[in-house]
Amino acid sequence: MNQNTILSVDGLRTHFYTEQGVVRAVDDISFDVRQGEIVGIVGESGAGKSVATTSILRLIEEPGEIVAGEITYQDTTIVGFDERSDGTLVPKDEMLTNRQMRSQVRGNEIAIIFQDPMESLNPVYTVGNQLQEFIELNRDLSGSAAKKEGIDVLREVGIPEPEARFGDYPHEFSGGMRQRVLIAMALACRPNLIIADEPTTALDVTVEGQILNLVSDLQEEYGTSFIWVTHDMGVVAEICDRVNVMYLGKIVEQGPVDEIFYDTKHPYTKALLESVPRPDRTVDELNPIVGTMPSAIDPPRGCRFHTRCPDAREACREVDPQFVDVSETPDTEHRTACIKYDDVGYWDSVPLEHASEQDTSYIDEDQRPENRDLEQTEGEP
Amino acid sequence: MTLLRYTISRFVQAIPVLIGISFITFVMVNALPGDPVAIMLEGQEVDRETIEAVERRYGLDRPFHERFVTYMLGLVQGDLGYSFHRDMPVSQLMWIRLGPTLMLVFSAFVFALVTAVPLGVLAAKRRNEPTDHVSRLVALVGVSTPSFWIGIMLILIFAVWLGWLPSGRLVYPWRDPAHYGFDGRLELYYQTIRHLLLPMVALGTLQMATIMRIERSSMVESLQEDYVQLARAYGVPERTILRKHAFRAAQLPIITIVGLNLSTALGGAVLIETVFEINGMGRLLIQSIQQLDYQVVMGVTIVLATIFVIGVIITDISYAYVDPRVSYGDRE
Repeated sequence: MNQNTILSVDGLRTHFYTEQGVVRAVDDISFDVRQGEIVGIVGESGAGKSVATTSILRLIEEPGEIVAGEITYQDTTIVGFDERSDGTLVPKDEMLTNRQMRSQVRGNEIAIIFQDPMESLNPVYTVGNQLQEFIELNRDLSGSAAKKEGIDVLREVGIPEPEARFGDYPHEFSGGMRQRVLIAMALACRPNLIIADEPTTALDVTVEGQILNLVSDLQEEYGTSFIWVTHDMGVVAEICDRVNVMYLGKIVEQGPVDEIFYDTKHPYTKALLESVPRPDRTVDELNPIVGTMPSAIDPPRGCRFHTRCPDAREACREVDPQFVDVSETPDTEHRTACIKYDDVGYWDSVPLEHASEQDTSYIDEDQRPENRDLEQTEGEP
Repeated sequence: MTLLRYTISRFVQAIPVLIGISFITFVMVNALPGDPVAIMLEGQEVDRETIEAVERRYGLDRPFHERFVTYMLGLVQGDLGYSFHRDMPVSQLMWIRLGPTLMLVFSAFVFALVTAVPLGVLAAKRRNEPTDHVSRLVALVGVSTPSFWIGIMLILIFAVWLGWLPSGRLVYPWRDPAHYGFDGRLELYYQTIRHLLLPMVALGTLQMATIMRIERSSMVESLQEDYVQLARAYGVPERTILRKHAFRAAQLPIITIVGLNLSTALGGAVLIETVFEINGMGRLLIQSIQQLDYQVVMGVTIVLATIFVIGVIITDISYAYVDPRVSYGDRE
């Protein structure tokens, strides 16, 4: 663990017990966040990004449950298990109680910005009322001092005439302005870490640009760390320091943003990058990833990406890839979970037919009996 | 536009509605079989001329539209006609009978809201736990049991078998205690409550069950909203989330349902007043229909319709008060 690490997630598993089966939304992921950096979590819808971040705040609701792993924030244990002699896991004694989570962590240490600014503010209370409540809860300010702080933060995130807007209702704000309000809420609580769960996805591109600039400026000013969840590689390039690429509940590649973009290792990351236009590359046609993500109830054996991977070989169906360090220099910490980079017989193996060329044959592949359970259902409940 | 101007404009908009209601009622009463003059002169030996004289005197010989205009002119001056049966002006009769009905309906809604809202919130909070299942079962029974049957059962149990409560009639708090032979105001109020309890529960059960079901589903939905999740993520205690963040927005459907259910409650009051021998509008309506007392039937219908329209307006206003997104009809 790096000295500046403020949050460390180790082997986290969050499962949902649905009637259709156990959804392994987050299945053994590890990453950390250091002081003052922006860490990206990227992946398609249903990869488990949001579940991973909600797990950090322990806001997973029935039928979901954190079943294994450790989440450490500075010196406190947010999630931790001890293994008993019979092999069952029990929560550690030093794990924070729900009350401690509420009073010591949520808001004042780790704040969150949700995806949809239209739904994240309570329509029947004024923006100021909600902002002031969160400030009073998470900082030693009350009444008029909290209100003054609220107005100051609104001004800082670029809301014109904050004194007047403080008493307005959410429906009187535009989408971009509401997202600014939500950022103001997060900043006003002076947290150490802000989790931004696709905060610009619901906004149009010009507003998205403004918000990203705003966050960059504020991040420099306050030195707050961010976990930035997104499916947009362009956003990652713009603001992230380090990136975790998630696929079907697992992290497949992690490393500094430049390494991920210019020394891409995992085929999934490559595919993600090829599916978006890039200013530094000229292509005739974008190359989207074929198929959809399989269900997290019954993920493919071996490498979870092998059903859609252009580089897949027979070995990928059998071997569960482990994280391999692929760093060029010792301190880059670039890792990937692909057996191409591990000595487990990838190169001796026969390429899987469906993926060797990107044509329609993958459809037939999906219909083969052994793959029929990979029905195209939503991975996340 | 301010809330006051909104209120005034809603009342102005109600005027055409009330004229329409009066017209329909007038047409329907005119279409009823039976001759009011014959009923008036029942049991007397009369000749053709006397009948015609009576018809002329009350304007019954004039065409339909003239009679309607005359009736409406009287209506806006507060004149609802005359009850030959009871030998008093209908408007005066209304004043006497309105109080008991309003008291009954109002108390039934108070009972329903006071019980249903906390139960609904509790059921939503403990969703799919035993508390929730029990309350949903109770609500289902409440919705599907007729109120008059509940009334009869309540009388049987609490008045006849246990003898705890009176079986009928109301005591009116606005009357002089001496009228009932009570010692003072305090005993008057005590007796008012004792007498009101059974009819209130009988009439309010349906409302309670309906409101509880809506409250539960509305709170369940509200508790899953992003803004409730956000409040949790900022460390707001669960108690405050229930009371503040989830509760207020969840009450909007309740307001709508209370306004609309005013009609079922007024209809229910007709039965409950009959079961409990309460001399309110409902019982008056039943008796007047049986006695073919047309003027009274019309008067009761119009007054009940007016109460319903006013109730809906109050609903709209409280909706605008609770939900800031409701515009007051500004055209920008």
